[in-house]
Amino acid sequence: MNEIDLVAYKCKRCGRIHYPYHDRCMNCKGREFEEIKPEGDAKLLTFTQIFNLPWGFDQRFLIIGVAEFENGVKAMGQVKADSVNGLKLGMHLKPSWEPVRAQNGESVYGLKFEPEPEPSEALPA
Amino acid sequence: MRDVAIIGAGMIPFGRRDEDSLMDMLAYASLNALDDAGLGDKSVDAVYVANMGAGILQHQTAIASALVDRLSLFPAAADMVENGPASGASAIKNGLLAVASGYYDAVLVAGGEKMREVTGWRATDFVATLTHPLAEYIYGVTLPGMAGMFTQLYMEKYGVTREQLVQVATKNQKMGALNPYAHVEMVITREGILDSPHAIVNNPPVAEPLHLYDACPVSDGAAAVVLCPLDMVKNAKKRPILIAGFGQATDTHALQEREDPTDLKAVTLAAKQAFAMAKVEPGDIDVAELHDAFTILEIAESEHVGFFKKGEGGKAAAAGKTQLGGQIPINVSGGLKARGHPVGATGVAQVVEIVWQLRHEVSKERQVKNAKTGLTINFGGFGNNVLAFVLRRVDQ
Repeated sequence: MNEIDLVAYKCKRCGRIHYPYHDRCMNCKGREFEEIKPEGDAKLLTFTQIFNLPWGFDQRFLIIGVAEFENGVKAMGQVKADSVNGLKLGMHLKPSWEPVRAQNGESVYGLKFEPEPEPSEALPA
Repeated sequence: MRDVAIIGAGMIPFGRRDEDSLMDMLAYASLNALDDAGLGDKSVDAVYVANMGAGILQHQTAIASALVDRLSLFPAAADMVENGPASGASAIKNGLLAVASGYYDAVLVAGGEKMREVTGWRATDFVATLTHPLAEYIYGVTLPGMAGMFTQLYMEKYGVTREQLVQVATKNQKMGALNPYAHVEMVITREGILDSPHAIVNNPPVAEPLHLYDACPVSDGAAAVVLCPLDMVKNAKKRPILIAGFGQATDTHALQEREDPTDLKAVTLAAKQAFAMAKVEPGDIDVAELHDAFTILEIAESEHVGFFKKGEGGKAAAAGKTQLGGQIPINVSGGLKARGHPVGATGVAQVVEIVWQLRHEVSKERQVKNAKTGLTINFGGFGNNVLAFVLRRVDQ
């Protein structure tokens, strides 16, 4: 499993977490940031299934979501699911760092999220 | 600062225009606006051209200079304005400030885009380049995808329904069918796109929960206006339309960085600025052109500009309050949904429609009776750069 190679930025003055990068803090305009990694599992904030894909994707559809990690980092990623049936706002996701598209013949890595079954689904009845 | 009036407005029909180049379309719309202003054989001091994608789609740059050349407007100053899907309103703003400051007396603003000469997936990719390159674009997200995620949240928070979205789609396509400049002149019914067993075929999902008829078409087109100080045109042949108010505001590039992603702060701020400058309230607006690239945006913007309370816009649309003859007619042109969305042209086309409405020049089936004050909202990015204009009919 690849390490999640995403860097978020915590303002050293006020603590606000940014992703992506800003040269000044959105809250206090501070310019010094601590680089932090997303930590723990993620929670699904919103999602969509896209059927009209842009140039560079040779597949039927993509499911895209935005998730919040346990330490407050929020980021977009591709959701590993066959359909949006079963996806719910607030559900838990297992993040991973995998190829998300190819550009100029090379793989571009990014976030993927695997929906985690609800406890009632995970345990035998 | 001087009061600034629109003295000429022109467009060409939007749609798939295989026979015309981008420069052809910009030239035709500009000539229509210059003729409308009575300046058909005159020059102007400056030209602002709105366009988002000529560098990518046509492999052509410096199109403002090229338009001056086509129209023999030398030695007019010329600038290209690129501000994503809000390029049109941004170009008008530049013209407005140039005339208001006293620097120029006659300014031509033209907006155009030619999007249908590339494949759909190239056009989709081109528009997606406005998303954040690292945090969004690499994942394959598209503008319909951004709108789909926004709709999930809006439905969850405010209870907007598919039925309400369908109401916006059918209303705008009905009006587009009456607008000779519209790309899509086809009436659709709720049954055909929602209730019928065939609806899933007629109206498949494009970005859940949004379906095909929730989205605007990809279009070619151009529109133009001519600006002048109000005190120089009081005896003009055509009724001048005052730019009474203007506002512009920005928001975060990445949607997930907004504290509440359902809050379109830039729309609220831009509208408030425009209302304050024009000394009007939302209730004073007679007709509005809102940026309905997706049906959800017409509902959300109708709330954010203050026509309805948050959560009430969908219900208002379903109750017919936004149709012609309703409390506040929205997108009687058909909006982006039916008129089409050639991205660089849209902000100018919205203003052209309001000018025609305030002059009482459109056909009876589309004319808002006694319209005196109008609003436009041009929505760039996914709400990260928004412009508003309040236009007013000038009594002569």
